[in-house]
Amino acid sequence: MEIFITLFITGFGLGALYFLVASGLSLIYGLMGVLNFAHGAFLTAGAYATWYFTTSIRADGSLSSYVISLFIAGVVGALFAVATEQILIKYLYDRHIDQALVTVGLGFVATSAYLGWFGSDPLIVLPPTQLYNTVQIGDAFVGIDRFLYIGVAALVLIANFLMMRYTRIGLIIRAGVENRSMVTALGIDVRKAFTFVFFIGGFAAGLGGALATTYASGVGPTLGDAFLIYAFITVVIGGMGSVPGTAIAAIVVGTTQVLVNYYVQGLGDFVVVMLLALVLLVRPQGLLGKVAH
Amino acid sequence: MTSNAAIRVSDLSLAIGGAKIVDGVTLEVKPGELLGVIGPNGAGKTSLFNLISGLRPATRGNIYLGDDDITNESPASRASKGLGRTFQTSSVFTLLPVLENVRLAAEAAMGGSMKITRRAYSFKPAIAKAEEALNAVGLSDKRFTPAGALSHGDKRRLEIAIVLASDAKVVMLDEPMAGMSVENVPVLTEIIRSLSRDYGRTVLMVEHHMHVVLGLADRIAVMHQGELLICADPQTVISDPTVQSAYLGESL
Amino acid sequence: MNLLPGKYRYVPVLAMVFFGVAAFTPILNEPGLQQTFAVAFLFAALALTYDLLLGFTGLLSFGHALYYAAGAYGAAYAMARWDWGIIPAGIFAMVFATLIALFTGATALRVKGIAFAMVTLAFAEAGHVIAVLNMWGLSNGDQTLQLNFDSVPDFFLGVNNTRNLYLLALVTLILIYVAVWWLTQSSMGRVLQALRDNEERVSVLGLKPFNFKLIAFVLAGVMAAFVGVIAVIVTNNANPVMGSTQTTISLLLMVILGGIATRWGAVIGGLIYVVLSQRLTTLDTQGALSGLPEWIGGPMSEPAFILGVIFILVVMFSPGGIAGALYRLRMKFGSSVK
Repeated sequence: MEIFITLFITGFGLGALYFLVASGLSLIYGLMGVLNFAHGAFLTAGAYATWYFTTSIRADGSLSSYVISLFIAGVVGALFAVATEQILIKYLYDRHIDQALVTVGLGFVATSAYLGWFGSDPLIVLPPTQLYNTVQIGDAFVGIDRFLYIGVAALVLIANFLMMRYTRIGLIIRAGVENRSMVTALGIDVRKAFTFVFFIGGFAAGLGGALATTYASGVGPTLGDAFLIYAFITVVIGGMGSVPGTAIAAIVVGTTQVLVNYYVQGLGDFVVVMLLALVLLVRPQGLLGKVAH
Repeated sequence: MTSNAAIRVSDLSLAIGGAKIVDGVTLEVKPGELLGVIGPNGAGKTSLFNLISGLRPATRGNIYLGDDDITNESPASRASKGLGRTFQTSSVFTLLPVLENVRLAAEAAMGGSMKITRRAYSFKPAIAKAEEALNAVGLSDKRFTPAGALSHGDKRRLEIAIVLASDAKVVMLDEPMAGMSVENVPVLTEIIRSLSRDYGRTVLMVEHHMHVVLGLADRIAVMHQGELLICADPQTVISDPTVQSAYLGESL
Repeated sequence: MNLLPGKYRYVPVLAMVFFGVAAFTPILNEPGLQQTFAVAFLFAALALTYDLLLGFTGLLSFGHALYYAAGAYGAAYAMARWDWGIIPAGIFAMVFATLIALFTGATALRVKGIAFAMVTLAFAEAGHVIAVLNMWGLSNGDQTLQLNFDSVPDFFLGVNNTRNLYLLALVTLILIYVAVWWLTQSSMGRVLQALRDNEERVSVLGLKPFNFKLIAFVLAGVMAAFVGVIAVIVTNNANPVMGSTQTTISLLLMVILGGIATRWGAVIGGLIYVVLSQRLTTLDTQGALSGLPEWIGGPMSEPAFILGVIFILVVMFSPGGIAGALYRLRMKFGSSVK
């Protein structure tokens, strides 16, 4: 039972990281129809930002430096994402396959640039000592960092919810995911919303990258690529364009993966893929998704 | 129950999220007949075609091709039973040459199993049939042009050639004249007329050009807000007061 | 569709003959260079099988590497663990890959477009995980599954016989080229191209799109598996990278760079990609990039960086690659395309 609790919360934490990557992917796809293969590169950029900040700028190993580095990682991810939208995506308006291809190319370029800059070996990022503590739940001991991932993801989910519900841009995004041509017909400039979803998607991914350095104890050029694949699976299972669906799917994917991997190494990754196949067979639009356009 | 209709729909309906797109349409078209389907924008004409060709599943009602209930069959199996159609926006295979567009339809209709072991151009009967169809619509000289490079009017002709070559007994034409230049309309009108007169096809045609429909159709079906208002000969239809009010926008 | 006017049709044949003869002349007499070209031929062949999906059927798969890896691992496993000869091992590998392609294809094809891309990606990743983690002791993980030298004839072994490997790879490329050419000219191949252009219209002609797409998917997979079998002989092992998403993405790059739906575009893309990758690395070790500042010289020494940049430029400014530019020219001047 103790092991189950530990594994479950670890899986929940991993799911939280998937959510940070997948929420942006899902919104970008839902609103613009762009499958963003460069999203992993945003995450990796955030992770390297954290590494740089906590080893070269404020290498005091304090909790405050870590928190600041999270924020910086988010901003780096967001800036990278906005630049991608402004420089590449914008000019391929409504050419969905070309947009996906261009992000494939960007991911390719970014990974090799990271390789050229930072080398292929993972760079170690040491989290503040506070995160090494464990929390006792019943008889089980769970690393406190897991709760940090979950907490950050929950904040992002709540912020997302409030923004979608109460801000003008959120309303435009929601309506745009539902029916973009209608929003355009009403004379609303959806392009600002495009840039905005890239901004928040990139921010969440950068944040996820910073936390991933703690989860994976460091950052290498392909850190983001590893997360991206499971984030894709999360998005498909949750339903493209649905943030709540993505959240549920992220938890399912993270916990399944960790629990099953504990018993047979690697089998968890496998089971998650089979889960995806199952969802597609039973409910092709995903858990909470609308029919893909 | 048997009837001598080429195609028959009964109580055919489509509802999307509570909105009635097509509502209880019952209709019979006799073999060789040319039926015009008219109605204001959004009346459900194209949706009716989508239901009949199977691209959308009906929420209620039945569709019979001859005596055969095809309501639950896939678009492909309906087509192989002799139901052909064109689309409102030209949807030819743009990267394939014109002849190839028609040849594919001919081979599919001949029960060609689309063999992997046979070179496409070595199946002569399909080519002969395709050539004949292209001849009928006057596109023979453009047979090797990629279909995507054709003019709008030529694409519409190509669509007709495709249904002609496909041996479909029942042909549905969705706005064949849309976007045609004025001088091309009479040419295409004659091609459509010969579909029913010379080739004996049953034709259902959605069309906005009233004079085209009046000149061509044996009977006209008028749709309004998903419902079938009337289906009768052209004279009866144009003098019918409910049709006039539907077009003039008065409440019924 | 063939973009080469009749009088240029023999160019691919001449090119093949040239490469065949060149191996016996000083031009290509060095084993290192022959090995590079052997790998390039195999990737060109693999790119061709990918073009059958992307260019001729309109299916954007991110999991094509899975079938290549299935072929390679299937053959390597049968040779290493069961001491089978290369021929039965190769047949086993292709049957194995066919079954995987059937199952994954039938599942993935239930969805379309971008969702299809994601599902194929996920399946390939599952295979990649098995290879990397050496699950159930199948793959040897990063240690790679070595070629059992007793299973292949001696004339394919050793540096002295690199020319034979070169010729084997060339013959493989020619076989795949002919197979893809035949397929695309066949009745069925035309249906695939029609599907690429307009799926709905294919269904109202009375043809079931799903069946045709599945056939294309499986055929492309089987051919990729065949290339995988040969790759085990040429590179002496089956390794996890073969099944990685990176491999599929490089195939995508090759096909897009060369131009989709032309066959020779994929071949040129594959050759350029592999040879350029090798040459760019050489450029760096010769110190050609040493004058550049570190922040730009670092990435420049990664071949993937430059290839990726070229790829982005091609997608943005010349859709269809080299062949696409040619195609637009021909559309513009209206010459007959048959």
